Order: sequence, then structure tokens, then C-alpha cells
Amino acid sequence: MSHIRHSLQIRHVDAGSCNGCEQELTALTSAAYDFQRVGLDWVASPRHADALLLTGPVSDPMARPVERVWAAIPAPKWRIAFGDCAAGCGVFQAAYGIHGGLPEADLVIRGCPPEPGAALQQLRDAMQAMAPHPDHTVGG
Amino acid sequence: MDNPWIRQNVALKEAHAELLTVTATRNHRLQATWLDPASGRQEQVTVDVSQEHFPSLTPMLPEVAWDEREIHDVFGYVPEGHPDLRPLLRTPRWPDNFRPLRDQPRARPTWRDAEPDNPALTVEGDGITIMKVGPTHAGVIESGHFVFSLMGENVLNLDAHLFQNHRGVESLLEGQTIDAVGAMVTRICAADTVSHQTNWALAVEALAGYDAGATLTLDRILLLESERVVSHLNDLAQIPAGVGFQVAHQQALAIKEDWQRGLQRLYGHRFLFDTVRPGWVASVDPENLLRLVHAIGRSWTPWRRLVEGHHGFNDRMAGVGVTTRAEVVRFGGQGVVARAAGKAFDARTLLPLYQDLRPVPVLESDGDVRARFAVRIHEVEASLRLIEQAAERLRRQTTPRDAHWRPPDEVSGQVVVYTESPHGLNVHEVAMDRGRVLRYHIRAATYRNWPLLAHAVPGNAVADFPLINKSFELCYSCTDR
Repeated sequence: MSHIRHSLQIRHVDAGSCNGCEQELTALTSAAYDFQRVGLDWVASPRHADALLLTGPVSDPMARPVERVWAAIPAPKWRIAFGDCAAGCGVFQAAYGIHGGLPEADLVIRGCPPEPGAALQQLRDAMQAMAPHPDHTVGG
Repeated sequence: MDNPWIRQNVALKEAHAELLTVTATRNHRLQATWLDPASGRQEQVTVDVSQEHFPSLTPMLPEVAWDEREIHDVFGYVPEGHPDLRPLLRTPRWPDNFRPLRDQPRARPTWRDAEPDNPALTVEGDGITIMKVGPTHAGVIESGHFVFSLMGENVLNLDAHLFQNHRGVESLLEGQTIDAVGAMVTRICAADTVSHQTNWALAVEALAGYDAGATLTLDRILLLESERVVSHLNDLAQIPAGVGFQVAHQQALAIKEDWQRGLQRLYGHRFLFDTVRPGWVASVDPENLLRLVHAIGRSWTPWRRLVEGHHGFNDRMAGVGVTTRAEVVRFGGQGVVARAAGKAFDARTLLPLYQDLRPVPVLESDGDVRARFAVRIHEVEASLRLIEQAAERLRRQTTPRDAHWRPPDEVSGQVVVYTESPHGLNVHEVAMDRGRVLRYHIRAATYRNWPLLAHAVPGNAVADFPLINKSFELCYSCTDR
């Protein structure tokens, strides 16, 4: 599974974000950060993904779609919580409509929203660190 | 029409007033607040909810169709005569009798074990295809669920199911102290955050009778206009992406990045979170902001020449996704979408905040993708000029900056405040009781524009939906809350 060191294909799902995280994720694709040069990319289907990257505190209508996207990603696979809301420590944690972030995240990128340069560095570090332990199973 | 609630509201609409809010309260009352764009005065109409019912305005004023559906979902009051009372925020997962704004839930509800989808409106007949998009998407965007009815490539109907990102912000704000509200209001929506923060500050200051001084006001204008530049640059980058014009997309993202790095350097945040509070504003040396404006101009001018000189790109935008001025008026459309169709409304012209800077609404008339693109281009330049003017005035200010005013603990009362966010007229209705929030209603411009988008898409090719959608560029989070 050493391919993870060189390439991590990510499916993004927004579950109640304020769009700050999304704008910074888009910035990662821009020339200033160009995350494709280090093997990161967004994929349009969870079937092509190595990881689920979640933004937002998980609004109730998105809870099931998030589970389905995770189930559709083939193992080995990783969960990434992007931003304070997904990390379970955002300001809307106590609102009735939310479930409170992504449980059991393999990588938590804090920030409101995370600054793209720092986020890119954390993703790169994680790609190295994740490689020896890719033992999640489907649905796990 | 013999009902005074309907008659008075229709009369205000016919007198060209702008609807600010229609809100309900727990004590069985509805209130509509209108703004007279000539005088800037507000007018209020109220009605009592009688045996859980009130007369629906929607048949006469279709712009309130969603407001009334929302009131039905969160208060349980029934708009009598509403033509389409499907759930808007409510999903099949909500427990029976869960009326979050009426009952003030102290705990999260026990969600039903059901799918969250509400029934969709579709066209039926031979050869019609139903195409569902979302709520998760192939790219990096906010979550929404769209149901298209198609005949070949042509869209016959678009049913937009939003509120996938509904957090319950208004309910969460109830009971909060003045100090706690700011961080939440800041994060209603990243694209319009300064506008939301400023509304909250204006509300508390109005209720406490505090008059913000010139420096505070000018510093807020710098922030509001800086935010408009971020947001418009984002949208101007996304529209070329909608037709595969990658050079224009990437160059606009690069300009946006330079601008945001500048804001990070000056204000400490790339989206200007937590920069406005009641009685306070983050302030910078105006000289530094002026330098940033000049630096941006060097990459902006060549980019503008690139996009305006590209005939293929301009042909591609022309005549696509048209909304007429009449439709904009009928649906209460706001912001860039409205001005691109020739409706001359920009809340900045009415705000005491902008006083003698006198911003002039930027107008186009075609109401298509090209017009919305053009309005944003002109508004970026107008915002940069406003920043220059405000910064110049701040530089000339000889009086020291106003001391930080702290609102008194016992602020009470009810007020409707607004600003012009990058997406248009952004309204907050705030009721306070001895320093705590009694009711907080947020009516963002995008809430009015989403039904207009659904109206603009039919008649276009489905492949043009991304382009039309990006030209409206409506935030979900402001609407879903």
C-alpha cells in the first residue's frame, strides 16, 4: 500500500459547513498550492477514492449520505476531518440540527477554516504516516 | 383581498417597498417588515395566528412562498391558501410535533429511522428523464439536492431541495448572551461573514442607542468592501470554470489568493472572521490597505482585458440563464442577480453607514450570465474605489480612534437591520431581552434568489446548469442556516 506515499485520491463531502472550508479546499487546487503536484486530488466518485474528507458538523440530512459515501469507498481507506466543525469543536456543536462532526477520523485538520498552506503540509505528512497502517476494512 | 394582512402587504409591494423579513413568534404573531427604498423608512404589518392558521400571502406575493413554508415547518402555523405547502426544512426524519422554534428544544431530537428526502416535483410524460444531482457532489461544493425533469437536453423543471446543511442556527442563538453571539453569527456563512457580523453589531448598537463614530464606520466599510472583493473574485473565477476557460479561472483564483493573503497579513484572517463586534471593529493602518489595493490592480487589469476580449467566452455567456426584471421584482430577487436584470437596488445607497461616500448601483439589463459576470467586474472596481476613499478619509482623521464601547448588560427590544452583502440584501431581525437573545431571524439575499434560479433554468440545456448556477453563485449556508 505504499502508493499512498505518492498519491491520495480524495472524495469531499460537505455536511453543514459555512463554505469557508470549501473555498480553502478550492484554493488547494489553485496555482498557489497546486496540490496535484504532490499526488493529491479530488475524485468525482467514492469508488475512485482512498479517503473521505468531511467538512461541517454533520447536519442531520447529510448524516446518511456521508455514511453511504464512506461505505462506497473501497478499503484501505481513511477519514479526514477538515476544519473545526468536522473535528467536533466548532461553534455550532450544540445546535439541534447537527450530529457533531466526523467520528474516528484518521486525520484531523483544525482551523476555522484551516489555512491552505498548513492544511497541505498536514495532508503531505499524513500521506507518509498513513502508509504502514492501511488496515481499515469496508464499512469500518 | 379584504383581509388587512394581505391588503397591507400587497399595497406595500405595489408601492415598490422591499420586503425585509416575514417572521413568526412563539406568541402566535406574524410580522412583515418592509423597506421604502426612497426614504429608507421601515414599515411593519402584523397579524395574529388564529387557531394555528394565518392567511397566506403567497398567492399574491410569491416571494414569500419559502418564508411561509419555513414558518409552517418550525412553528407549525398553517398558511391558509398556500399553493405548495411541502416541507422545506422539515425532513421525514423529524419526530412528530418537532417544532424547533416554537418549543425551544433543550436537547437534540431523536431522529426517525428514515431517509431524509422530501418528495420532489417532477414532470411526467413520454420521453421525460428525471435526473437527480446531489446531495453529495462530484467536486468541492456545498451540499444541495437538485431534481431535474428533462426532455432530451432541455430542462423542463428544476426542483431545488436545499436545507441539506440546516444546522438550527436561529434556535441555537436563542438565549445566548451578547458576548456569545458574535462567534456564531460570524460563521453563518464565510462568503458574507462581515455583513452578518455588521448586522449583529448594528442591531445591538441600535437597541442600546449607541451612535458609532466616523472612524468605526469607515473601518467597517473597509471590511465590508474587502469582503465583497473576496467573494466577487471567487465568483468571477468560478464562471469561466463553468465553460472550461481554465486560464481565466486560475488567474482569478490567483488574484483572490493575493487579496486573501493581504487580508490575512493585515487583519489576521483570510475571510475576516471575528472582525466586527458591537461597539468595536478590527482596524489597520489605512496605508497598508491602500498598498494592497494598488498591488491587486496590477494583476486585475490584464485579467479583465483577457476575459472581456475573449469572444468565445462572451458568446458562451450571452443569452444563457435569463431572468427578466419583471421576474426579479416578482420574486424579490436581490444583489448581483437583481442588478444584472436592471433592478436598481443596492442597500448601500440607504445605509447611514456609507453616508456621503454615495455608492451608485451597478446596472446591466440583459439578466443573463454575461450580465451577472459584468456586474461583478464593475462592482469589484467600485469596491476598490470605496476602499481607497474610506482609507483616505481614515488617513486624514486627526481625532483618535473611538474608544471601545461595551454594550450594557441589559439590552432589550426588537430591531430589523440590514447590510448589502456580496450576495445582496442581508437582513437580521433581532429581539433581545435583558442582554439575551429572545429571537434571531436571518434572511439572506440568497434565500430570495434560489427560487429565481429554479425559475431561470428551465428552457436552457442541462449542460448549462453549472454555468447558470455559478453565475448566480448562491450560498447554501446563508439559506440553510
